[in-house]
Amino acid sequence: MIVTDYILAQLSINSMAWAGLTLLAMGFVFVLILTIANAKLMVEQDPTVEAILNALPGANCGGCGLAGCSAYAEAVARDHGLLGKCGPGGEATVKAIAAILGIEAAAAAPVRAVVRCSARANDKINSTRYLGVASCREAQMITGVIGCPYGCIGYGDCQKACEFDAIHVIDGLAVVDYKKCVGCGACVKACPRELIELRGMQEDPLLVIACSTLDKAKEVRSYCKVGCVGCGLCAKQVPTMFQMQQNLAVIDYEKYGSQEERDRAQDKCPRALMVYVGTNTQRETKREGISSGNENK
Amino acid sequence: MTSETSLLVVFISMALINNLVLTKFLGICPYLGVSRRVDMAFGMGCAVTFVITISGTLTWMINNLVLQSIGMEYLKYIAFIMVIASMVQLVEMYVRKFFPPLYDSFGIFLPLITTNCAILGTCLFIDLWHLRFLQAIVASFAGGLGFTLVICIMGGIRENLEWADVPRALRGAGITLITAAIMTLAFMGFSGMIKG
Repeated sequence: MIVTDYILAQLSINSMAWAGLTLLAMGFVFVLILTIANAKLMVEQDPTVEAILNALPGANCGGCGLAGCSAYAEAVARDHGLLGKCGPGGEATVKAIAAILGIEAAAAAPVRAVVRCSARANDKINSTRYLGVASCREAQMITGVIGCPYGCIGYGDCQKACEFDAIHVIDGLAVVDYKKCVGCGACVKACPRELIELRGMQEDPLLVIACSTLDKAKEVRSYCKVGCVGCGLCAKQVPTMFQMQQNLAVIDYEKYGSQEERDRAQDKCPRALMVYVGTNTQRETKREGISSGNENK
Repeated sequence: MTSETSLLVVFISMALINNLVLTKFLGICPYLGVSRRVDMAFGMGCAVTFVITISGTLTWMINNLVLQSIGMEYLKYIAFIMVIASMVQLVEMYVRKFFPPLYDSFGIFLPLITTNCAILGTCLFIDLWHLRFLQAIVASFAGGLGFTLVICIMGGIRENLEWADVPRALRGAGITLITAAIMTLAFMGFSGMIKG
Protein backbone atom coordinates (compact mmCIF):
# COMPACT_ATOMS: atom_id res chain seq x y z
CA MET A 1 0.00 0.00 0.00
CA ILE A 2 2.82 2.34 0.87
CA VAL A 3 4.43 1.77 -2.48
CA THR A 4 1.26 2.49 -4.46
CA ASP A 5 0.64 5.62 -2.40
CA TYR A 6 4.14 6.79 -3.15
CA ILE A 7 3.73 6.17 -6.89
CA LEU A 8 0.35 7.89 -6.93
CA ALA A 9 1.83 10.88 -5.13
CA GLN A 10 4.70 11.06 -7.62
CA LEU A 11 2.42 10.70 -10.61
CA SER A 12 -0.22 13.07 -9.42
CA ILE A 13 -2.84 13.99 -12.01
CA ASN A 14 -1.46 17.45 -11.95
CA SER A 15 2.10 16.59 -13.06
CA MET A 16 0.82 14.08 -15.62
CA ALA A 17 -1.37 16.74 -17.14
CA TRP A 18 1.51 19.18 -17.25
CA ALA A 19 3.79 16.68 -18.96
CA GLY A 20 1.15 15.94 -21.52
CA LEU A 21 0.42 19.59 -22.07
CA THR A 22 4.12 20.39 -22.54
CA LEU A 23 4.52 17.69 -25.16
CA LEU A 24 1.31 18.75 -26.86
CA ALA A 25 2.49 22.34 -27.03
CA MET A 26 5.83 21.29 -28.49
CA GLY A 27 4.13 19.02 -30.96
CA PHE A 28 1.87 21.86 -32.01
CA VAL A 29 4.86 24.14 -32.68
CA PHE A 30 6.54 21.50 -34.85
CA VAL A 31 3.32 20.80 -36.71
CA LEU A 32 3.11 24.49 -37.47
CA ILE A 33 6.73 24.59 -38.76
CA LEU A 34 6.26 21.49 -40.90
CA THR A 35 2.96 22.69 -42.32
CA ILE A 36 4.53 25.94 -43.43
CA ALA A 37 7.56 24.08 -44.82
CA ASN A 38 5.30 21.67 -46.66
CA ALA A 39 3.46 24.51 -48.32
CA LYS A 40 6.70 26.28 -49.24
CA LEU A 41 8.65 23.21 -50.35
CA MET A 42 5.77 21.45 -52.09
CA VAL A 43 6.99 19.31 -54.96
CA GLU A 44 4.61 19.41 -57.89
CA GLN A 45 4.25 15.72 -58.59
CA ASP A 46 1.87 14.30 -61.08
CA PRO A 47 -0.39 11.84 -59.20
CA THR A 48 -0.33 9.53 -62.22
CA VAL A 49 3.47 9.21 -61.89
CA GLU A 50 3.07 8.01 -58.34
CA ALA A 51 0.32 5.59 -59.36
CA ILE A 52 2.50 4.19 -62.17
CA LEU A 53 5.45 3.86 -59.80
CA ASN A 54 3.30 1.79 -57.46
CA ALA A 55 2.23 -0.43 -60.35
CA LEU A 56 5.85 -1.15 -61.37
CA PRO A 57 7.77 -4.09 -59.88
CA GLY A 58 10.23 -1.74 -58.15
CA ALA A 59 13.25 -3.83 -59.09
CA ASN A 60 15.12 -0.79 -60.43
CA CYS A 61 16.75 -3.14 -62.94
CA GLY A 62 17.19 -0.48 -65.63
CA GLY A 63 15.98 -2.89 -68.30
CA CYS A 64 13.76 -0.17 -69.75
CA GLY A 65 16.85 1.90 -70.50
CA LEU A 66 16.12 4.50 -67.83
CA ALA A 67 17.76 5.09 -64.47
CA GLY A 68 15.18 3.17 -62.45
CA CYS A 69 11.52 2.59 -61.80
CA SER A 70 10.79 6.19 -60.76
CA ALA A 71 12.54 7.54 -63.86
CA TYR A 72 10.58 5.10 -66.02
CA ALA A 73 7.31 6.09 -64.34
CA GLU A 74 7.96 9.74 -65.14
CA ALA A 75 8.99 8.94 -68.71
CA VAL A 76 6.00 6.73 -69.45
CA ALA A 77 3.61 9.32 -68.05
CA ARG A 78 5.03 11.83 -70.54
CA ASP A 79 5.55 9.48 -73.49
CA HIS A 80 2.96 6.72 -73.74
CA GLY A 81 5.04 5.00 -76.44
CA LEU A 82 7.38 3.68 -73.75
CA LEU A 83 4.58 1.54 -72.32
CA GLY A 84 5.86 -1.96 -73.07
CA LYS A 85 9.45 -1.42 -71.93
CA CYS A 86 9.17 -2.96 -68.47
CA GLY A 87 10.47 -6.52 -68.84
CA PRO A 88 10.04 -7.86 -65.29
CA GLY A 89 6.52 -6.43 -65.03
CA GLY A 90 5.24 -8.12 -68.15
CA GLU A 91 1.70 -7.95 -69.39
CA ALA A 92 0.07 -7.35 -66.01
CA THR A 93 2.14 -4.20 -65.45
CA VAL A 94 1.45 -2.97 -68.97
CA LYS A 95 -2.29 -3.37 -68.37
CA ALA A 96 -2.10 -1.66 -64.98
CA ILE A 97 -0.18 1.31 -66.39
CA ALA A 98 -2.49 1.52 -69.39
CA ALA A 99 -5.46 1.64 -67.02
CA ILE A 100 -3.81 4.46 -65.06
CA LEU A 101 -3.04 6.40 -68.21
CA GLY A 102 -6.47 5.69 -69.65
CA ILE A 103 -5.23 4.18 -72.91
CA GLU A 104 -5.76 0.86 -74.60
CA ALA A 105 -3.43 -1.85 -73.36
CA ALA A 106 -3.74 -3.55 -76.72
CA ALA A 107 -1.49 -0.83 -78.10
CA ALA A 108 1.45 -2.71 -76.66
CA ALA A 109 2.16 -5.72 -78.82
CA PRO A 110 3.05 -8.94 -77.01
CA VAL A 111 6.66 -9.98 -77.43
CA ARG A 112 7.30 -13.41 -78.91
CA ALA A 113 10.31 -15.45 -79.95
CA VAL A 114 11.09 -15.52 -83.67
CA VAL A 115 13.55 -18.04 -85.12
CA ARG A 116 15.51 -16.37 -87.87
CA CYS A 117 16.14 -19.52 -89.88
CA SER A 118 13.80 -21.48 -92.10
CA ALA A 119 16.04 -24.30 -93.33
CA ARG A 120 14.70 -27.74 -92.55
CA ALA A 121 16.89 -30.82 -92.67
CA ASN A 122 16.51 -31.24 -96.44
CA ASP A 123 17.26 -27.59 -97.14
CA LYS A 124 20.69 -27.74 -95.54
CA ILE A 125 23.52 -28.71 -97.87
CA ASN A 126 27.09 -29.66 -97.05
CA SER A 127 26.52 -30.56 -93.41
CA THR A 128 29.22 -32.48 -91.59
CA ARG A 129 28.37 -35.80 -90.00
CA TYR A 130 28.35 -34.92 -86.31
CA LEU A 131 28.52 -37.66 -83.70
CA GLY A 132 29.25 -35.57 -80.60
CA VAL A 133 27.05 -34.50 -77.73
CA ALA A 134 23.58 -33.67 -78.96
CA SER A 135 23.74 -30.03 -77.93
CA CYS A 136 23.88 -26.94 -80.11
CA ARG A 137 26.46 -25.35 -77.84
CA GLU A 138 28.81 -28.31 -78.23
CA ALA A 139 28.19 -28.71 -81.93
CA GLN A 140 28.68 -24.98 -82.50
CA MET A 141 32.38 -25.43 -81.67
CA ILE A 142 32.93 -27.54 -84.75
CA THR A 143 33.35 -25.55 -87.92
CA GLY A 144 30.92 -26.56 -90.59
CA VAL A 145 28.81 -28.81 -88.40
CA ILE A 146 26.08 -27.69 -90.71
CA GLY A 147 26.98 -25.99 -93.95
CA CYS A 148 25.52 -22.65 -92.97
CA PRO A 149 27.54 -20.81 -90.32
CA TYR A 150 24.42 -18.86 -89.30
CA GLY A 151 21.53 -21.32 -89.42
CA CYS A 152 19.75 -23.56 -86.95
CA ILE A 153 21.90 -26.50 -85.82
CA GLY A 154 18.84 -28.35 -84.65
CA TYR A 155 19.95 -30.11 -81.45
CA GLY A 156 17.30 -28.30 -79.45
CA ASP A 157 19.11 -26.25 -76.80
CA CYS A 158 16.18 -23.86 -77.08
CA GLN A 159 13.72 -26.70 -76.61
CA LYS A 160 15.47 -27.72 -73.38
CA ALA A 161 15.56 -24.14 -72.15
CA CYS A 162 11.86 -23.51 -72.75
CA GLU A 163 9.75 -23.75 -69.60
CA PHE A 164 6.51 -23.55 -71.55
CA ASP A 165 6.98 -26.35 -74.08
CA ALA A 166 6.63 -23.72 -76.77
CA ILE A 167 9.60 -24.40 -79.04
CA HIS A 168 10.39 -27.70 -80.73
CA VAL A 169 12.94 -28.88 -83.24
CA ILE A 170 10.87 -30.21 -86.12
CA ASP A 171 12.74 -31.66 -89.06
CA GLY A 172 16.01 -30.00 -88.07
CA LEU A 173 14.54 -26.56 -87.45
CA ALA A 174 13.43 -24.90 -84.23
CA VAL A 175 9.77 -23.96 -84.56
CA VAL A 176 7.95 -21.77 -82.07
CA ASP A 177 4.47 -22.76 -80.93
CA TYR A 178 2.89 -19.32 -80.68
CA LYS A 179 -0.08 -20.62 -78.76
CA LYS A 180 2.27 -21.43 -75.87
CA CYS A 181 5.07 -18.87 -76.23
CA VAL A 182 5.06 -16.12 -73.59
CA GLY A 183 8.12 -14.25 -74.80
CA CYS A 184 10.30 -14.94 -71.76
CA GLY A 185 13.48 -15.02 -73.83
CA ALA A 186 14.93 -18.22 -72.36
CA CYS A 187 15.46 -19.66 -75.86
CA VAL A 188 17.15 -16.43 -76.98
CA LYS A 189 19.78 -16.96 -74.31
CA ALA A 190 20.08 -20.68 -74.99
CA CYS A 191 20.80 -20.41 -78.72
CA PRO A 192 24.58 -20.30 -79.29
CA ARG A 193 24.08 -18.82 -82.74
CA GLU A 194 21.85 -15.98 -81.56
CA LEU A 195 19.27 -17.05 -84.09
CA ILE A 196 16.22 -16.34 -81.97
CA GLU A 197 15.06 -12.82 -81.29
CA LEU A 198 12.19 -11.33 -79.37
CA ARG A 199 9.85 -9.45 -81.64
CA GLY A 200 6.74 -7.42 -80.84
CA MET A 201 3.82 -9.11 -82.60
CA GLN A 202 2.23 -5.95 -83.92
CA GLU A 203 0.18 -8.09 -86.30
CA ASP A 204 -0.78 -11.71 -86.08
CA PRO A 205 0.38 -13.39 -88.29
CA LEU A 206 3.51 -11.33 -88.72
CA LEU A 207 5.83 -11.50 -91.71
CA VAL A 208 9.42 -12.13 -90.66
CA ILE A 209 12.73 -12.68 -92.42
CA ALA A 210 13.50 -16.18 -91.20
CA CYS A 211 17.13 -16.14 -92.19
CA SER A 212 20.25 -14.57 -90.74
CA THR A 213 23.01 -15.33 -93.19
CA LEU A 214 25.23 -12.42 -94.09
CA ASP A 215 27.10 -14.27 -96.84
CA LYS A 216 26.93 -13.50 -100.54
CA ALA A 217 24.66 -15.37 -102.93
CA LYS A 218 27.26 -17.89 -104.08
CA GLU A 219 28.09 -19.14 -100.60
CA VAL A 220 24.47 -19.13 -99.51
CA ARG A 221 23.48 -21.28 -102.49
CA SER A 222 26.29 -23.68 -101.62
CA TYR A 223 24.87 -24.52 -98.19
CA CYS A 224 21.16 -23.69 -98.16
CA LYS A 225 18.18 -24.09 -100.43
CA VAL A 226 16.03 -21.43 -98.82
CA GLY A 227 18.32 -18.76 -97.31
CA CYS A 228 18.52 -15.12 -98.36
CA VAL A 229 20.87 -14.57 -101.29
CA GLY A 230 20.79 -10.81 -100.91
CA CYS A 231 19.29 -10.16 -104.32
CA GLY A 232 17.38 -7.15 -103.05
CA LEU A 233 14.24 -7.83 -105.07
CA CYS A 234 12.02 -7.29 -102.05
CA ALA A 235 13.67 -3.96 -101.31
CA LYS A 236 13.10 -2.94 -104.95
CA GLN A 237 9.43 -3.93 -104.73
CA VAL A 238 8.63 -2.29 -101.40
CA PRO A 239 11.54 0.01 -100.49
CA THR A 240 9.77 1.43 -97.43
CA MET A 241 9.39 -1.89 -95.69
CA PHE A 242 12.46 -3.83 -96.80
CA GLN A 243 16.09 -2.84 -96.60
CA MET A 244 19.23 -4.75 -97.47
CA GLN A 245 21.79 -4.94 -94.72
CA GLN A 246 24.96 -6.97 -95.28
CA ASN A 247 23.39 -9.18 -97.96
CA LEU A 248 20.33 -9.83 -95.83
CA ALA A 249 16.82 -8.49 -96.25
CA VAL A 250 15.60 -6.69 -93.13
CA ILE A 251 12.04 -5.61 -92.39
CA ASP A 252 11.52 -2.19 -90.90
CA TYR A 253 8.64 -2.91 -88.53
CA GLU A 254 7.96 0.78 -88.02
CA LYS A 255 6.89 0.87 -91.68
CA TYR A 256 5.21 -2.52 -91.81
CA GLY A 257 3.42 -2.54 -95.18
CA SER A 258 -0.06 -3.52 -96.27
CA GLN A 259 -1.06 -7.07 -97.19
CA GLU A 260 -0.74 -6.22 -100.90
CA GLU A 261 2.79 -4.86 -100.49
CA ARG A 262 3.85 -7.88 -98.47
CA ASP A 263 2.40 -10.25 -101.06
CA ARG A 264 4.23 -8.43 -103.82
CA ALA A 265 7.60 -8.73 -102.05
CA GLN A 266 6.99 -12.32 -101.06
CA ASP A 267 6.06 -13.33 -104.59
CA LYS A 268 9.19 -11.72 -106.00
CA CYS A 269 11.51 -13.40 -103.49
CA PRO A 270 13.28 -16.27 -105.26
CA ARG A 271 13.92 -18.14 -101.99
CA ALA A 272 11.70 -19.18 -99.09
CA LEU A 273 12.83 -17.16 -96.12
CA MET A 274 9.87 -14.82 -95.77
CA VAL A 275 7.44 -16.58 -93.51
CA TYR A 276 4.43 -15.64 -91.48
CA VAL A 277 4.61 -16.47 -87.79
CA GLY A 278 1.92 -16.23 -85.15
CA THR A 279 -1.05 -18.04 -83.71
CA ASN A 280 -3.14 -18.01 -86.87
CA THR A 281 -0.90 -18.68 -89.85
CA GLN A 282 -3.18 -19.86 -92.62
CA ARG A 283 -0.99 -18.44 -95.35
CA GLU A 284 1.18 -21.10 -96.80
CA THR A 285 4.79 -20.16 -97.47
CA LYS A 286 5.94 -20.99 -100.94
CA ARG A 287 8.52 -23.47 -99.76
CA GLU A 288 7.27 -26.41 -101.85
CA GLY A 289 7.45 -24.50 -105.11
CA ILE A 290 10.98 -23.31 -104.41
CA SER A 291 12.44 -26.67 -103.54
CA SER A 292 11.04 -28.34 -106.63
CA GLY A 293 12.06 -25.40 -108.77
CA ASN A 294 15.67 -25.68 -107.68
CA GLU A 295 15.66 -29.36 -108.36
CA ASN A 296 14.32 -28.80 -111.88
CA LYS A 297 17.21 -26.50 -112.64
CA MET B 1 34.31 18.25 -21.79
CA THR B 2 32.95 20.81 -19.39
CA SER B 3 31.25 24.15 -19.69
CA GLU B 4 34.69 25.80 -19.31
CA THR B 5 36.15 24.28 -22.50
CA SER B 6 36.88 26.78 -25.29
CA LEU B 7 34.89 26.64 -28.51
CA LEU B 8 37.88 25.59 -30.63
CA VAL B 9 38.61 22.69 -28.34
CA VAL B 10 34.94 21.70 -28.40
CA PHE B 11 35.05 21.75 -32.18
CA ILE B 12 38.19 19.61 -32.53
CA SER B 13 37.04 17.31 -29.78
CA MET B 14 33.68 16.59 -31.38
CA ALA B 15 34.96 16.38 -34.95
CA LEU B 16 38.01 14.19 -34.36
CA ILE B 17 38.73 13.01 -30.83
CA ASN B 18 35.20 12.09 -29.85
CA ASN B 19 34.19 11.30 -33.40
CA LEU B 20 30.61 10.05 -33.34
CA VAL B 21 31.18 7.13 -35.67
CA LEU B 22 34.67 5.94 -34.86
CA THR B 23 34.97 6.47 -31.13
CA LYS B 24 31.36 6.60 -29.93
CA PHE B 25 30.20 4.02 -32.49
CA LEU B 26 27.02 5.90 -33.21
CA GLY B 27 25.41 6.17 -36.65
CA ILE B 28 26.97 2.98 -37.96
CA CYS B 29 23.90 2.24 -40.07
CA PRO B 30 24.32 5.05 -42.64
CA TYR B 31 28.11 4.79 -42.24
CA LEU B 32 28.01 1.32 -43.79
CA GLY B 33 24.80 1.68 -45.75
CA VAL B 34 25.30 4.89 -47.72
CA SER B 35 29.08 4.92 -48.12
CA ARG B 36 29.27 3.11 -51.43
CA ARG B 37 30.03 6.27 -53.41
CA VAL B 38 31.64 9.51 -52.28
CA ASP B 39 28.96 11.80 -53.71
CA MET B 40 26.18 9.90 -51.96
CA ALA B 41 28.22 9.77 -48.75
CA PHE B 42 28.78 13.52 -48.93
CA GLY B 43 25.07 14.15 -49.48
CA MET B 44 24.25 11.95 -46.50
CA GLY B 45 26.88 13.74 -44.42
CA CYS B 46 25.40 17.12 -45.33
CA ALA B 47 21.88 15.98 -44.44
CA VAL B 48 23.05 14.58 -41.10
CA THR B 49 25.12 17.70 -40.35
CA PHE B 50 22.10 19.89 -41.00
CA VAL B 51 19.79 17.79 -38.85
CA ILE B 52 22.38 17.44 -36.06
CA THR B 53 23.09 21.17 -35.90
CA ILE B 54 19.46 22.22 -35.83
CA SER B 55 18.48 19.43 -33.44
CA GLY B 56 21.42 20.09 -31.11
CA THR B 57 20.55 23.76 -30.92
CA LEU B 58 16.80 23.25 -30.53
CA THR B 59 17.12 20.48 -27.97
CA TRP B 60 19.52 22.61 -25.91
CA MET B 61 16.94 25.39 -25.89
CA ILE B 62 14.05 23.06 -25.08
CA ASN B 63 16.03 21.23 -22.42
CA ASN B 64 17.48 24.28 -20.68
CA LEU B 65 14.77 26.86 -21.19
CA VAL B 66 11.60 24.78 -21.02
CA LEU B 67 12.04 21.38 -19.46
CA GLN B 68 14.48 22.30 -16.69
CA SER B 69 12.57 25.42 -15.73
CA ILE B 70 9.36 23.45 -15.24
CA GLY B 71 11.22 20.49 -13.71
CA MET B 72 10.36 17.93 -16.35
CA GLU B 73 13.78 16.72 -17.51
CA TYR B 74 12.33 13.22 -17.64
CA LEU B 75 10.53 14.26 -20.83
CA LYS B 76 13.78 14.96 -22.64
CA TYR B 77 14.01 11.70 -24.60
CA ILE B 78 10.51 12.12 -26.03
CA ALA B 79 11.08 15.80 -26.67
CA PHE B 80 14.44 15.20 -28.38
CA ILE B 81 13.03 12.50 -30.63
CA MET B 82 10.17 14.80 -31.56
CA VAL B 83 12.59 17.56 -32.54
CA ILE B 84 14.77 15.19 -34.56
CA ALA B 85 11.83 13.62 -36.37
CA SER B 86 10.47 17.04 -37.31
CA MET B 87 13.86 18.20 -38.56
CA VAL B 88 14.28 15.07 -40.67
CA GLN B 89 10.89 15.74 -42.23
CA LEU B 90 12.06 19.24 -43.05
CA VAL B 91 15.30 18.00 -44.63
CA GLU B 92 13.41 15.39 -46.61
CA MET B 93 11.10 18.03 -48.09
CA TYR B 94 14.07 20.27 -48.86
CA VAL B 95 16.14 17.55 -50.54
CA ARG B 96 13.13 16.33 -52.50
CA LYS B 97 12.45 19.83 -53.76
CA PHE B 98 15.98 20.87 -54.68
CA PHE B 99 17.99 17.66 -55.22
CA PRO B 100 15.64 15.03 -56.70
CA PRO B 101 18.44 12.64 -57.87
CA LEU B 102 19.96 12.72 -54.39
CA TYR B 103 16.50 12.07 -52.94
CA ASP B 104 16.13 9.03 -55.20
CA SER B 105 19.55 7.64 -54.35
CA PHE B 106 19.05 8.02 -50.59
CA GLY B 107 15.93 5.93 -50.65
CA ILE B 108 15.01 4.70 -47.20
CA PHE B 109 18.17 6.12 -45.58
CA LEU B 110 16.86 9.67 -45.61
CA PRO B 111 13.83 9.09 -43.33
CA LEU B 112 16.07 6.73 -41.35
CA ILE B 113 18.13 9.73 -40.18
CA THR B 114 15.31 9.97 -37.65
CA THR B 115 16.56 6.84 -35.98
CA ASN B 116 20.22 7.70 -36.52
CA CYS B 117 21.57 7.36 -33.00
CA ALA B 118 24.39 9.79 -33.77
CA ILE B 119 21.88 12.63 -33.62
CA LEU B 120 20.09 11.65 -30.42
CA GLY B 121 23.50 10.76 -29.01
CA THR B 122 24.86 14.23 -29.70
CA CYS B 123 21.85 15.87 -28.08
CA LEU B 124 22.24 13.69 -25.01
CA PHE B 125 26.02 14.25 -24.79
CA ILE B 126 25.44 18.00 -24.90
CA ASP B 127 23.07 17.59 -21.96
CA LEU B 128 25.44 15.20 -20.18
CA TRP B 129 28.43 17.53 -20.44
CA HIS B 130 26.36 20.59 -19.40
CA LEU B 131 27.59 22.61 -22.36
CA ARG B 132 26.65 26.27 -22.75
CA PHE B 133 24.54 27.44 -25.67
CA LEU B 134 27.36 28.41 -28.07
CA GLN B 135 29.29 25.29 -27.13
CA ALA B 136 26.21 23.22 -27.89
CA ILE B 137 25.90 24.73 -31.38
CA VAL B 138 29.59 24.22 -32.11
CA ALA B 139 29.58 20.71 -30.68
CA SER B 140 26.60 19.56 -32.72
CA PHE B 141 27.92 21.16 -35.92
CA ALA B 142 31.36 19.63 -35.37
CA GLY B 143 29.74 16.26 -34.67
CA GLY B 144 28.02 16.45 -38.04
CA LEU B 145 31.23 17.50 -39.77
CA GLY B 146 33.09 14.60 -38.16
CA PHE B 147 30.39 12.22 -39.39
CA THR B 148 30.63 13.68 -42.92
CA LEU B 149 34.43 13.39 -42.88
CA VAL B 150 34.40 9.77 -41.81
CA ILE B 151 31.61 8.66 -44.15
CA CYS B 152 33.33 10.40 -47.10
CA ILE B 153 36.66 8.74 -46.32
CA MET B 154 34.84 5.44 -46.15
CA GLY B 155 33.11 6.18 -49.48
CA GLY B 156 36.48 6.92 -51.12
CA ILE B 157 38.04 3.75 -49.77
CA ARG B 158 35.09 1.66 -50.90
CA GLU B 159 35.15 3.19 -54.38
CA ASN B 160 38.76 2.10 -54.69
CA LEU B 161 38.03 -1.29 -53.16
CA GLU B 162 35.80 -2.00 -56.16
CA TRP B 163 38.97 -2.47 -58.18
CA ALA B 164 41.03 -4.16 -55.50
CA ASP B 165 41.81 -7.86 -55.54
CA VAL B 166 39.95 -8.76 -52.35
CA PRO B 167 39.96 -12.42 -51.28
CA ARG B 168 36.66 -13.95 -52.25
CA ALA B 169 35.54 -14.74 -48.69
CA LEU B 170 35.99 -11.11 -47.62
CA ARG B 171 34.20 -9.39 -50.51
CA GLY B 172 31.35 -7.06 -49.65
CA ALA B 173 30.50 -6.67 -45.98
CA GLY B 174 33.63 -8.42 -44.72
CA ILE B 175 36.20 -6.07 -46.20
CA THR B 176 33.99 -3.08 -45.34
CA LEU B 177 33.98 -3.97 -41.66
CA ILE B 178 37.75 -4.59 -41.67
CA THR B 179 38.22 -1.18 -43.31
CA ALA B 180 36.03 0.40 -40.64
CA ALA B 181 38.07 -1.29 -37.92
CA ILE B 182 41.36 0.01 -39.33
CA MET B 183 39.88 3.50 -39.62
CA THR B 184 38.80 3.31 -35.99
CA LEU B 185 42.34 2.37 -34.94
CA ALA B 186 43.65 5.33 -36.93
CA PHE B 187 41.23 7.71 -35.21
CA MET B 188 42.32 6.37 -31.82
CA GLY B 189 45.52 8.30 -32.49
CA PHE B 190 43.65 11.56 -31.94
CA SER B 191 42.77 10.67 -28.37
CA GLY B 192 46.02 12.02 -26.93
CA MET B 193 45.74 15.37 -28.70
CA ILE B 194 44.02 17.35 -25.93
CA LYS B 195 44.29 16.65 -22.26
CA GLY B 196 41.26 16.83 -20.05
